[in-house]
Order: sequence, then structure tokens, then C-alpha cells
Amino acid sequence: MKALSANRLIDGDVVFWSNGSGVDQFSKAELFYDSAAQDAALEQAKSQFTTVVEPYLFDVAKQGGIFVPVSYRERLRALGPTNEPTHGKQAQGGHEIAALAKAVGGGHTSGRIDLLRKN
Amino acid sequence: MYLYDEIDRDMLADRASEFRGQVARRLSGEITEDQFKPLRLMNGLYLQLHAYMLRVSVPYGSLSPVQLRALAAVSRKYDKGYGHFTTRTNIQFHWIKLKDTPDILDELATVGLHAIQTSGNCIRNITADPYAGATADEVDDPRVWSEVLRQWSTFHPEFSFLPRKFKFAVTASPKDRTAAKAHDIGLVLRRNRDGVLGFEVMVGGGMGRTPHIASTIREHLPADHLLSYVEAVLRVYNRHGRRDNMYKARIKILVASLGIDEFRRQVDAVWALIEQGEIDLPPSELARIRAAFAPLNFESLPAISPTFEAERANNPALARFARNNLRPHKQPGYAIVEVSLKAPGATPGDATAEQMELIADLGERYSLGDVRVTHAQNLVLPHVKLDDLPAVHAALAAAKLATPNIDLVTDIIACPGLDYCALANARAISVAQDIGEKFTSPDKAELIGELKIKISGCINACGHHHVGHIGILGVDKKGEEFYQLTLGGSGAEDASLGEMLGPALAYDRVAGAVETLVDTYLSVRVGDERFLDTFRRVGVAPFKEAVYADAH
Repeated sequence: MKALSANRLIDGDVVFWSNGSGVDQFSKAELFYDSAAQDAALEQAKSQFTTVVEPYLFDVAKQGGIFVPVSYRERLRALGPTNEPTHGKQAQGGHEIAALAKAVGGGHTSGRIDLLRKN
Repeated sequence: MYLYDEIDRDMLADRASEFRGQVARRLSGEITEDQFKPLRLMNGLYLQLHAYMLRVSVPYGSLSPVQLRALAAVSRKYDKGYGHFTTRTNIQFHWIKLKDTPDILDELATVGLHAIQTSGNCIRNITADPYAGATADEVDDPRVWSEVLRQWSTFHPEFSFLPRKFKFAVTASPKDRTAAKAHDIGLVLRRNRDGVLGFEVMVGGGMGRTPHIASTIREHLPADHLLSYVEAVLRVYNRHGRRDNMYKARIKILVASLGIDEFRRQVDAVWALIEQGEIDLPPSELARIRAAFAPLNFESLPAISPTFEAERANNPALARFARNNLRPHKQPGYAIVEVSLKAPGATPGDATAEQMELIADLGERYSLGDVRVTHAQNLVLPHVKLDDLPAVHAALAAAKLATPNIDLVTDIIACPGLDYCALANARAISVAQDIGEKFTSPDKAELIGELKIKISGCINACGHHHVGHIGILGVDKKGEEFYQLTLGGSGAEDASLGEMLGPALAYDRVAGAVETLVDTYLSVRVGDERFLDTFRRVGVAPFKEAVYADAH
């Protein structure tokens, strides 16, 4: 199971893909179950290159009844920096943010691996 | 302080205008991200984890109050009201919008600031001794030569696409506050026995994946020949640096593979062919630059200030601040004041807009209009009268800027790490904060003495972990945050690379391990040995045993 993330071109804000465009919160992200859907989402995001930049897929898994990013990096990206709890998406608060913040464990993410390959 | 002339100002305005056009073309789809990325990077604009990051250059760490206020204004208007000072003495803004960047560059250009040489495979921002022009132990002002190098290197057509980035540090003092030996080229100004000013030129230092301490390629290069000689070094590197493999592309790999003697031979051969007279700076131009750093109008004052001494005797906080954050000034009656950006719980290197404005005000009123950035992510008021120290301390304390911890256990260097950086494996800031919580007693911190902890969130080593007395490197272990500790590194004149302590530790064990290391040091140190001295005497064994005791 995967979700797709990117940054919005005009302001750099983190977005998650849902129904063909970027949304602000991970809780609204569309989940892509099979590789065909995942590839299609990635191609669609890449084609919208005046709207979003650096799109990539990342793994999600169920934890405590909700889907969360497997990788700590992706959870941090969906929340904001840990040193400034009022900065980033965590500032919005709510139970979905709280649940994301409680998630544990880690895994690799193509967000970082692709970046290292490109550099 | 060097002031930009009309040509410089026009150039900065043109550069900002050019970037405005590039941003418009990117937003309209006229150019792709692949085409745009090198253009934005040449203007210091990175895409990081949560947003764009703009890195603004602070050449040789020197800022005027007007410039510092402009940085504060940018942070307030376009970011979240703070900036992050880096180990290259630059400042980064972490929440920048692409659409705002042309306006930001315009605003910075009006005060002579820019983002040139903050990214890309060019000669990066040149760093220098933050005490330049203030410390008694320098043989010349390293800012003069840093400015010479800045003018030579900015937009140098031959060196704009090097195999990899290239970093200079310049100092003129036997006490190295620039980590010169960890640079691609480290320059130490000295006078020889005949009194001739020259540079010890060190080459091939660096951190990252394969750390090296620089080797001396010239013991004493006459200062007049600086530009032609470093041009020869860069030319050899540009020709033979490993462009095929970015992990082997820095000059340190070339120097290590050739050996310093062969590298020197090749540089000398190129240098002999260079038209040195065409490249070395004419004396008149050197004099023009030197005049910008002419000695300031210091007052003639007694070496001891009764006002300060009386205040210090009655104010333990001021006394502690004076013990730890003041450094001797060359002019009697003055002091160099270190402003710590490492308050308990703070993010190392962060300053709010209000703090920047306060320091700008203090710089203007009490420090002859001069503020410096250190590679240890602190700021400096280099020229404060002893008489004014009580007022300066009180103002700093009210803004949480008077933490008396320079070079002590809580004066930790930390890169932005996984909290901000797209390349990081692990967080660095929160590790620094956790360590800070273990050492809340200022008495204990003073008892421990000089201890430089440096934390990087990945192998690229922006947090200089290889040269930390205690170095901490964030590594990725099955996608989780782990930390590799090293001991015994130094970025100072006694430079060395840290030695591995043992297997990487999980996040929640790091601060406790540092506490154990410090307790072990205190239990075996002799006299007033620093942590580094004790480590060099006893080796890694007792430290390793203490930290991993519960693993057996």
C-alpha cells in the first residue's frame, strides 16, 4: 500500500495526492493498492509539473486502526519539525495529527533514496 | 567593513532581476524543474523536507547591523520569524516560498547581501576567524584576504563548475577558530623569520563520507602570490578531480590518491606556467581592500574597568558570563563578546527576528557597528568596551542570549538534521536538546570545561561530527534513527579525526551515553586536562567500557 507526496511548486508546501491533485493533510491522502494505480498516480503528478515538484510514492501500513507512513521521515514530513511543534502541518492539531504523532517504527522511503540517486 | 561599490550593487540587482525572470518561466511551465533546479541552487534556494530553504551568504561571517536587521526583516516577512546560522557562517531560512524569493533577493541586495556561492560546485562562502580585527594574536587581518578571495572567486568562469563544491577558511592566528584543517584549502597567515607575510597553505581537508585532515602544500607562500597559487591548486583539481563519482569528487580524494608530494609537484608545474602578474592582486588594489578593514577608532582606555569589576563582583551571572563568553581584545579596555545561540532548549544556531534586531542594536551601539557569525553557530560582538559589558550582558540576558556556555558541553553544533533536511538520516537538533537537559547545571558545565560536541544528521557532516571532541552521526538502521559516536576529534590547530566508540546507539540512548562519557572523563582526568586531552592520554577503552557496560 502506498501514498504519494510532493511539494507544491509555488510555495514548497508538502502535499499528498488525492483524486488527481495535491491536498494538505496526510489524512486526506489517497491510498494506492496496486502497482498500476501507484504508477498512474506518479505519472499524473509528474505531468502536473507547474503545480507540484519532486513527487514520489511511499509505503503506508495500518497501525492502531489507521494508515500511517511506515517511514519516520515521511511521518515527520506529514507532521512538521519536532523542534517547533507549532510549525508545519502539526499546527492544525486534531485527532488525525495526534494519531500520526503516536505512530512508531521505521522503514526506508523512496523520498530519500531517489534524492540520493539523483544527486 | 568592506562596502560594495556601484558595480557590486548593480550586479546584485541584475542577479535578482535575472532570477525573477527564471522563477516566472518555471511557474509558467516554460522551463522544467530539471532546467530550473541548477538555477535556483545557484541562488541558494534548496527544496527541503517541508518547504524551500534559502541560504544567504555571510562572507567571512561579517555582518553590519543594517544587514542583520535586513535578515531579521526577511525572517519576519517571508519566513516564520527566525533564521538558522550555519557552520559555514551563513544563515538559512527554512520556510521560504518560491514566489517570494525574487522579492527577498531584491531586499537583500539593497544591503549588499545575496545567496551567491551558497550552493553548487563552485568556491563556496569563504570563512574566516570570527575574532578578526579584534584578537591580539593575529599577524594580519584575515578579512582582507577573505575579501580578496571572495572577489576573485565570485563568478570565476573557470571555477564555476568544479568537480564538487570547494571551501576555503582563512585565519591569521595560531589558535584556529575556523577549522582550517578540515577545509579544501585552509590558509594560515604567518610572518617568517624575515618578517615577510605569507600563508601556510593546507589542502585536501574535509569531512563527509571520507574525512581527511588537510596536508601542508606550502609552508610559507608569500602573501602577494595568494591568487596565482590557489588558482594553480584549483586548476589541477578542476582537471583531475573525479567527476565520474560524486563521492570521490572532492579535492581531498585527489590529494590522498596522488599523495601530497605529487600533488604539490603538479601544482608547482601549473603555477610556473601561470602568468602570475596577471592574476596576483596589484598592490594598489590590495591597499584599497585593506583600507576597508583599517583599524577602528578605539578609545584609549585603561586595561581594567572599575565599573565592570565592581558589577562583576556583585553579579554572579555577569561573572559567569565573563568567565565563559568574553575573549581578550587587542585594545586595552575592550573585550570580544560571544553571544550564545545555545540557550537551554533552543535549536542550536537559531535566532528569532527580535534577537537579531537586538544584536544589531547592540552591535551598533556598543561594538563599532560590527557583528560576526562563528562556525560554531554563535554570534560575536567583537569590540565591546569593558565599561559597557554590564549593559550588554543585561540586554542579552533579557533576550535569552547570555547563556554562559561558549565551548562548554552545551555549546553544541547541530545541523538541521531530519527535522528539515531532505538528505538527513536522523534528527540532530533534538539530540542536542536532550544532551542539554543532562547538563543543566552551569557549575557542572564549567567543571567539565572545554568540550565540543558536534552532531550531524547524515554522513555529509554539516554538523562537523568528525572533528567533535564527541562526534555524533545520525545513521539509518532499517529506517530508524541510530547514532554513531566518535571521540577525540578536533577542528582546531590540533586537528584530528574522531575515533569510533562502538556500535551505533538508538536515539533514546544517546544523551545518556554522552553523560556516561563525561562522567568517565571526570573520573580519570588529571589536573585541568580537557576532555580531548584525557581522551588522547587514555584512549577509547575506558569510555567504550563505560558506555557499553550494560550490553555485556
